[in-house]
Amino acid sequence: MTADLAIEGYVDQVAAALPGPARERGDMMAELRAGLLDALDARRRDGLPDDAAVAAATAEFGEPRVIAATFRSELAARLARRCALTLAGTGPVVGLLWTAAAMASHVGMPHALPWEAGAPGGSTAVVRILLVALLVTVGGALVTIVATGRLAARWAGRPRVAPAAAAVSGYGAVIVDVAIFTLLASQLASAPGGLAPLPVAGAALASVARLLLAWHAAQRCRAALA
Amino acid sequence: MRAETLKGHLDGLLLASLEAGPRHGYAIMEALRAGSGGQVDLPTGTIYPALRRLERAGLVAGAWNEAGGRRRRVYSLTPAGRHALAAERGTWRNFSAAVTALLEPAPRPVTS
Repeated sequence: MTADLAIEGYVDQVAAALPGPARERGDMMAELRAGLLDALDARRRDGLPDDAAVAAATAEFGEPRVIAATFRSELAARLARRCALTLAGTGPVVGLLWTAAAMASHVGMPHALPWEAGAPGGSTAVVRILLVALLVTVGGALVTIVATGRLAARWAGRPRVAPAAAAVSGYGAVIVDVAIFTLLASQLASAPGGLAPLPVAGAALASVARLLLAWHAAQRCRAALA
Repeated sequence: MRAETLKGHLDGLLLASLEAGPRHGYAIMEALRAGSGGQVDLPTGTIYPALRRLERAGLVAGAWNEAGGRRRRVYSLTPAGRHALAAERGTWRNFSAAVTALLEPAPRPVTS
């Protein structure tokens, strides 16, 4: 029993500083634990008393700090991939909802987004920020997906690229949402009558949800870099 | 052999250890030790993340399996893994032939 506790202590030390999706991290730690128990059994079969068997098994597995570092890059890659796929999946939905809201609102030109024509002063800069942020978001997500894909996984090199790109993509998405809300606010201030309430409310809700999600994802990926 | 010496070859060794059939992580490590006469002696903990990366690369497939009252994750080679292993072998043969040719003392020219 004491031996099992000592093994648990080793696994906890490795797990303590690991990022990543909780389920995958738990799965990897369960595998590490099973391996340690196998090593412990082997030492017991060699006739070692429990204390010595635990010491030999954990020494064989390596310094927890070193082992955690090797798990860390794999988990960070998986976390980054998950974040990028989430952003890639939710982005077009939010985009479509805003486009639909803009078209239903008949703001500015009939077939254009509300901010493209007749938009209140100052919004051109916001539109530029929005477009740049959109490019950064899409680019970051693409880089992450490629860098964590099957081909890239064959080479262990550069483990920081994917979480960094995913974090940039997440922050980009946050900026996109904030820019859209800025434009919406200026529209509300200048010509609230033109907005179709339901489609705009639906798009705004989706955008808020995505903003929170993107922020959370970006923070986690950034933390995984540390 | 230390981890740094093996760097770049660990993936190939892991794939090779699965060629004869599926194995779990600890059995892979034992196979590497036994197969190299104890020369390959990495910290065992490092092979688990490496196996997960190979799984992400589609070269091995892992699945939980219960035997003897303990759940273990058992890995097997995928067809892509077999291809990668064959490629790794070819690369290693060329590399080791070249290094051997350069490192071994040249035979003295026969004079008669």
